[in-house]
Amino acid sequence: MTFHDLWQFLVALIESLNIYVLLPILVVLIGCRIVKAGLFVWVTAWALAVYLTLRYGFVIAIPASVLSLYMGIVFLTLLTYVVSSRERWISFSRPLLRLMVEKKYQPLLVLVLVTLPLAAGARVYLSMTLPIQPPLFTRTVHPAPPSEPITVHDQEFDLNAVVNPFRELEESDLEQFQTHVENGRRVYYQNCFYCHGDDMLGDGLFAHGLNPIPTNFRDTGTIAMFQEGFLFWRIAKGGPGMPDEGGPWESAMPAWEKFLSVEEIWDVILFLYDYTEQRPRELEEHGE
Amino acid sequence: MKIPIGLLAKKGTFAPFAKVDASEARYERRRVCPFFCFVLLAALAGLCWGAARAQEPDLGTEAQREAGRVLYNKYCVQCHGEEGDGKGYAAPHTKPRPRDFTAGQFKIRTTPSGAVPTDEDLHNVIRQGMPYTTMIGWPDFSDDEVANLIYHIKTYSNNFQDPDYFDPPIIVPSPPAFTKESAELGRELYTQMECNSCHGEKGRSDGRSAPTLKDDAGNAIRSVDMTKRWTYRGGPTRKDIYRTFSTGMNGTPMPSYDESLTEKERWQLVDYIYSLGDSDDANYSDRLFVASTEDEIDMAQGEALFEQAQSAHFPLIGQIMEPGRAFHPAANGIEVKAIHNSREIAFLVKWHDMRADISGMNSPALQAPAESEEGGPLDEGGASEDQESAEEDFFGEVSESEHEAPSADDFFGEVEAPEQEADGFFGMEEEEEPADAAVQESAFSDAVAIQFPSAPPEGIRQPYFIFGDLKNSVDIWFADLAQEGAQRFLGRGSASVTENDVEDLAMRATYEDGEWRVMFKKTLGSEAGVSFEERQWIPVAFSVWDGWSQERGNNRALTSWFYLYVEPQQAPSPVFPMTRAALTIFGIEVILIALIRRKYKNALQLPVLQANALGE
Repeated sequence: MTFHDLWQFLVALIESLNIYVLLPILVVLIGCRIVKAGLFVWVTAWALAVYLTLRYGFVIAIPASVLSLYMGIVFLTLLTYVVSSRERWISFSRPLLRLMVEKKYQPLLVLVLVTLPLAAGARVYLSMTLPIQPPLFTRTVHPAPPSEPITVHDQEFDLNAVVNPFRELEESDLEQFQTHVENGRRVYYQNCFYCHGDDMLGDGLFAHGLNPIPTNFRDTGTIAMFQEGFLFWRIAKGGPGMPDEGGPWESAMPAWEKFLSVEEIWDVILFLYDYTEQRPRELEEHGE
Repeated sequence: MKIPIGLLAKKGTFAPFAKVDASEARYERRRVCPFFCFVLLAALAGLCWGAARAQEPDLGTEAQREAGRVLYNKYCVQCHGEEGDGKGYAAPHTKPRPRDFTAGQFKIRTTPSGAVPTDEDLHNVIRQGMPYTTMIGWPDFSDDEVANLIYHIKTYSNNFQDPDYFDPPIIVPSPPAFTKESAELGRELYTQMECNSCHGEKGRSDGRSAPTLKDDAGNAIRSVDMTKRWTYRGGPTRKDIYRTFSTGMNGTPMPSYDESLTEKERWQLVDYIYSLGDSDDANYSDRLFVASTEDEIDMAQGEALFEQAQSAHFPLIGQIMEPGRAFHPAANGIEVKAIHNSREIAFLVKWHDMRADISGMNSPALQAPAESEEGGPLDEGGASEDQESAEEDFFGEVSESEHEAPSADDFFGEVEAPEQEADGFFGMEEEEEPADAAVQESAFSDAVAIQFPSAPPEGIRQPYFIFGDLKNSVDIWFADLAQEGAQRFLGRGSASVTENDVEDLAMRATYEDGEWRVMFKKTLGSEAGVSFEERQWIPVAFSVWDGWSQERGNNRALTSWFYLYVEPQQAPSPVFPMTRAALTIFGIEVILIALIRRKYKNALQLPVLQANALGE
């Protein structure tokens, strides 16, 4: 890794963070250190700091369900820390006990006594008046292919072992290879570009009407992650061929075996990689 | 184009000057004048010449054109063709068809009618694309790449080398503020200039000539639906509209009004057209709220019945997933409103259609023809019988594979594509009805369908969004607009749509000024279908068929699944749950404090931390 790569990585990292949230949090934590805050203050500060960081610290928001999972872990950790020794427990609970027992804190106690129930009421009110959301289906974007061989046009394909029969032409007969790529291009622009787009960005003519949205093949997190057999399965069997976690009822990806021959499917796969200048993931060699 | 004018000016000057030259001294004073004129005109001519020279074709270097050609062959050739004639292999399924560069005619320009576009015009179209066409924008090209592409595109037409086709861009002045008065004046111009003959009375692209429109290459094209600014090819702003009036769209029936309308009139017309739409954006919805009412639901009230309901706008796209594909369906959006009164539920669906096709018939169960390579269903009459293929998929059952050759003898086989004529479109002869009579009645009627799951979804699973599947069927409420009354179908996949008991499903439809309004009404709590219980989220999808485009069965526009929400008759009051939550918390607090205080009577009894116990 060169210095330049490292620099790029750091820039990307910082760009993904929300500095205006993170800096104040850092300042407050350092402040706690300087004034030698007690354990109660520390625990509260840490819980809040983690929550605010996760909730507002990233440019792309973390899903609420993931956030509550993380916070659950954080609370458990803090609790474990606090009760791990008698001293820590006393140090943590003493401020709370003093609040409840000492006379001089009585006004503050009354305030807490009133504020907490009000906050709980407000929360209920908000949850009842916020816009209602339709049921959420968390779809697996790239579901696992079936382990059983699939049948396409009366041929069996074992997805764990299948290779693109025309891929080897890239080494042995470049001219033939180009013919297949060219044919794949024709297939793409007669069938696929209405949704996946002229430039494979997933922004074709009909993309705005689809949910889930069409895949952006230029994204390096898509076809480059897969073996060609996976693409073959997704193309031949389409949305309806996915397992339930992929949401087969709402995917608009057609089962292309209805329209394309086996050769055309392999050709269009060659074209996808060729156009986007990406490579398929190689089959893993066992025992090495 | 400036040059001939310049030459003319010179000629006109020469003759009187010669005359004056031979005249006597008493004409001395008059001599000055023509001489002055001559100088002036010569200078003017020179200026024009200079202006034309300034527009000397910039055709780039050999290397630039070659670089452009390489890009063209990777990115453009599939639609625009190797010869630049717009006949690439993807072209047959696109509408509007790709630009034919050899004709040298470009729609979106800043230059006057007939002139070639400026490089900047071409640059903008390549970069931004044209909405609702297969020409999407190409933002990832560098400026140099776009420039090279333009140099290459220019090689296809000699117009780019011919000064006769050069004209400086039309200047679009900064727009005056929009006023209702101006729009009102524009409305008169709209009728006067016969905009309505193509664009329709309310701008919904339903003029009487609309079905006959063709571009210069003879391909059928649609006039723009002015109420949908987001589909304007040249952009949605008032400046864009003004520019389109001024330049016209070369190669299409859209003329330039540069000479026939003054600047002020053009702005009035702009304001009227602008007033036809609500927004620059489509503002598509992802859910539909079924408003609750206490009143009786009487469909005779028309749209007023749905006054309190929120309108949802859903995008319609081509059904290109199952055989019988529709690559460019006529409709591109549907507006929906819904109400219920806990006894009945009613839906209003509205979409724009060029004309009402109320002859023939339609049905979701009809076999759509297999799409031809040459240009979709319009170009063919034959329908294929069966297009299923064998597969074991999430439908759970294996269906038989049977590919049959298209049979010409079937019921739909004899249908001819509607005859289209472009002649006489601008109504040169006033009394002649432009080509209306030539547009045949369609064998297929317009139709619409609303689709729900047959049963409320259990868990996450839903029926397949294209007419359901074998495991999960859908309930299809269908209106064949050539017939009275609603129909109902049971969908178990698009190859297995069967008629179902209509029960008390009622339908009422009207067509006015290019818009269909179809109402469905049904009693709640009947046997079949979802029950529309209050506070339920129910998947809903829509389909629209345009009879004129021969759409039937699978050949149609559709939406994916969206959700509808049945709003409760009475919104639950938050007071009780709020009080309960607050009291619960308060109670816990009081008990906790009481317990603590019982244990530690005063501060002295509190546990004390040994010094340095935490090692600090």
